Amino acid sequence: MKRERIVVAMSGGVDSSTAAALLLDAGHEVVGVTLKLTNATGTAASIGGRCCGPRDIEDARATAALLGFPHYVLDESAAFQRAVIDDFVAEHAAGRTPNPCVRCNEKLKFGPLLRFARAVGARRLATGHYARLVHQPAARNDETAPAPFLMRARDREKDQSYFLFGVPPTLFADVTFPLGEQTKDQVRAMARRFALPNADKPDSQELCFIPDGDHKAFVESHGGAGRTGEIVDERGALLGAHAGTHRFTVGQRRGVPVADGSRRFVLRIEAATGKVVVGPRESLGRHHLTVSDLRWTSGRAPQTWPLRCAVQIRHHAAAAPAWVSAPEDSSCAVALDSAAVGVAPGQAAVFYDGDRVVGGGWIAA
Amino acid sequence: MIYLDHNATTPARPEVVEAMARAAVDFPGNPSSVHGWGRRARDAVERARAAVAAFLGVRSEEIVFTSGGTEGDNLAIRGLWDGALSRGRRHLIASPLEHPAVRGAIDAIGDRGGVTIGGGANGAAGSLVPEVTWLPVSARGELAEDDLAAALRDDTALVTLALANHELGNRYPLARFASLSRARGALVHTDAVQAAGKVPLNLSDLGVDAATISAHKLGGPQGVGAVFLRRGLDLPPLLRGGHQERERRPGTENVAGIVGFGLACQMAGASLRPVDDSGLPNRMDRMEALRRALLGHLRAVPGVRLLGADAGNWTTAPAPAPATDDAAAERERRLPGTVMVAFPGAPGQLVTIGLDLEGIAVSTGAACSSGSLEPSPVLRALGLSAEQAAEGIRISMGWTTTARDIARLGEVLPGVVARVRAASHDGQAATAELGAPDVTPARPAAAMSLAVATRSGS
Repeated sequence: MKRERIVVAMSGGVDSSTAAALLLDAGHEVVGVTLKLTNATGTAASIGGRCCGPRDIEDARATAALLGFPHYVLDESAAFQRAVIDDFVAEHAAGRTPNPCVRCNEKLKFGPLLRFARAVGARRLATGHYARLVHQPAARNDETAPAPFLMRARDREKDQSYFLFGVPPTLFADVTFPLGEQTKDQVRAMARRFALPNADKPDSQELCFIPDGDHKAFVESHGGAGRTGEIVDERGALLGAHAGTHRFTVGQRRGVPVADGSRRFVLRIEAATGKVVVGPRESLGRHHLTVSDLRWTSGRAPQTWPLRCAVQIRHHAAAAPAWVSAPEDSSCAVALDSAAVGVAPGQAAVFYDGDRVVGGGWIAA
Repeated sequence: MIYLDHNATTPARPEVVEAMARAAVDFPGNPSSVHGWGRRARDAVERARAAVAAFLGVRSEEIVFTSGGTEGDNLAIRGLWDGALSRGRRHLIASPLEHPAVRGAIDAIGDRGGVTIGGGANGAAGSLVPEVTWLPVSARGELAEDDLAAALRDDTALVTLALANHELGNRYPLARFASLSRARGALVHTDAVQAAGKVPLNLSDLGVDAATISAHKLGGPQGVGAVFLRRGLDLPPLLRGGHQERERRPGTENVAGIVGFGLACQMAGASLRPVDDSGLPNRMDRMEALRRALLGHLRAVPGVRLLGADAGNWTTAPAPAPATDDAAAERERRLPGTVMVAFPGAPGQLVTIGLDLEGIAVSTGAACSSGSLEPSPVLRALGLSAEQAAEGIRISMGWTTTARDIARLGEVLPGVVARVRAASHDGQAATAELGAPDVTPARPAAAMSLAVATRSGS
């Protein structure tokens, strides 16, 4: 294999550190870079966190120093505030359930990282994502290769393709995911073999900008509190009052009054009126949803409609067989073969053909 | 590796390192102890103090050892402010070009109404927040005597202005500033960290009341510095709990570091004499020649801008004999080994990283402010936009720098800048800015190929 300069995006976690170690082991010249996304310096919260906080930057630096390659920090906290945090707060205020990790990949990470790679003379960018990219050969008489296929990772438990569907596909041309063929256990084993300082660092569970996990308090302190209002059942009968729509998400049970001794779940949030509609589990099931702001991961829309594919509506949900109607105004109707629970406006709906990501959009209703 | 970041730290001279290693073995005692070990350590510290004092043209008892520039600026500014407060003065003058340590010390006064000393005026002086006048700055980073004269008031306690700017390399006429200020009864402190060791220095002639210097900027170790404090002035300590340094800086002395500092000052002083001890041209002449060679390479990069006192002056002829008036005046304007440039369309951080990957060390500004998002306040003070200020690159030379280092930078730089420009901007933005360079590209062919590169990069 030809030795080349590769930029590795390092979050400070075990995955991206191992990705860097693998590329180094393969003989490449590795340049590490960490995006500084939040400004929690000097606070207690800066100790924990998911990625890209001060503690994680220090972990990335320590890994690079141990393995002997240069490491730099790019401050993208202002862009992160605009593209991710403001969006997160606004979505909550509008009664939706945002997915900031998808937004961050879509709007923030890959652009600056690829610019950095080009600026330092690296042809490729590697990240520690669990996903695969299958590069397509260039058509004859065409100098530019088509966008690579984005595929699920070999390790289905860790697969992160759902988070990556929104990345503009042309950006993937120069990206590589060294962990796409690995399982998490293999990665940890390799990290131990390389004696990486973060080999046993626990997987992060919380959003990087809300390390204590209290989304409600974060949204409130950032001016995104939704209206207060009534909790009603499906027939409109008043069941109680609540302190703000941002405290609810579709499928949630906490904070919902129990009626007739049976559990009730949030079915719908009406941000304009402040109304939260609840009902029994059976009512959660949805066959139909509308997906908007569509994008196609191969770079162009499919040719045959309706599209038969599997639709994933949350990070941890299984993809479910569905028909997707032809898009109008970048929005389409999805008909699931069997009812899904937890269809929350604001989350991403990602379309799969087997392991391949076809495209997706944002659940509008 | 080519090191062109001497304003951040200049490598300790080998003789200094050797002297420090010997001192650690030869003087293991505590200088405050009464026994022989203590006396020998005390003697080593005092000999070093004499060397530092001689280098600065002041008396030994006017030198207070510190941990470096930041502590020195804090000790001097906060301490002198405190003394002045008790005389009823509460106005302070500084410039927006000052090092973060000076700004930080001024902020600390603002936060706390001065350093609280036992029961003095400050104890009850919560309302005595300083009024600070920030002097206006020209586009070349100059400060005008008239502006200082206009800013001075009857209640001006302290004027603190650097002798040379850490990013631009500009020098300032502190002797005139000091005489103006002292005529109004104000005390004068100068941050001489960047000037010391780079240009001849005599603090007594300068007429300042206090000055800060740091060992690692002049060939000594990191972690040691000194404050000069004119005889007769009081300086309340920042730390408590010891009598060292005449109660002004408690804590056991860093004996080996101080010994190294003393030797570094001797060597720096020698290197600035007309002909240095080894018979080579003096340091300023060498740096001047290197600087001119550097400018020759820099102007080959399309659109390059030179910042600071000599902005637009691309003289690359061999260094003139310093005897001519023009040459002497030019040397009064700036340090000979510091060059601040900007390559429009190329963020300085990315140029710095690109050069680092080629084994060449430069910086985007003060090491103390790099890593933060905020662009250099020094460059902002010149009237540059945040984006322009983020394009600044500081190349600072020192005793290790050779003509070959400069030639190598000249080889690598155009390619690095072109690559960063291509990656950072849509072609139009970069080329549009290149339309108004402050220097005609020395090689038009290079400019054309760059324009092509930036377009194809969009």
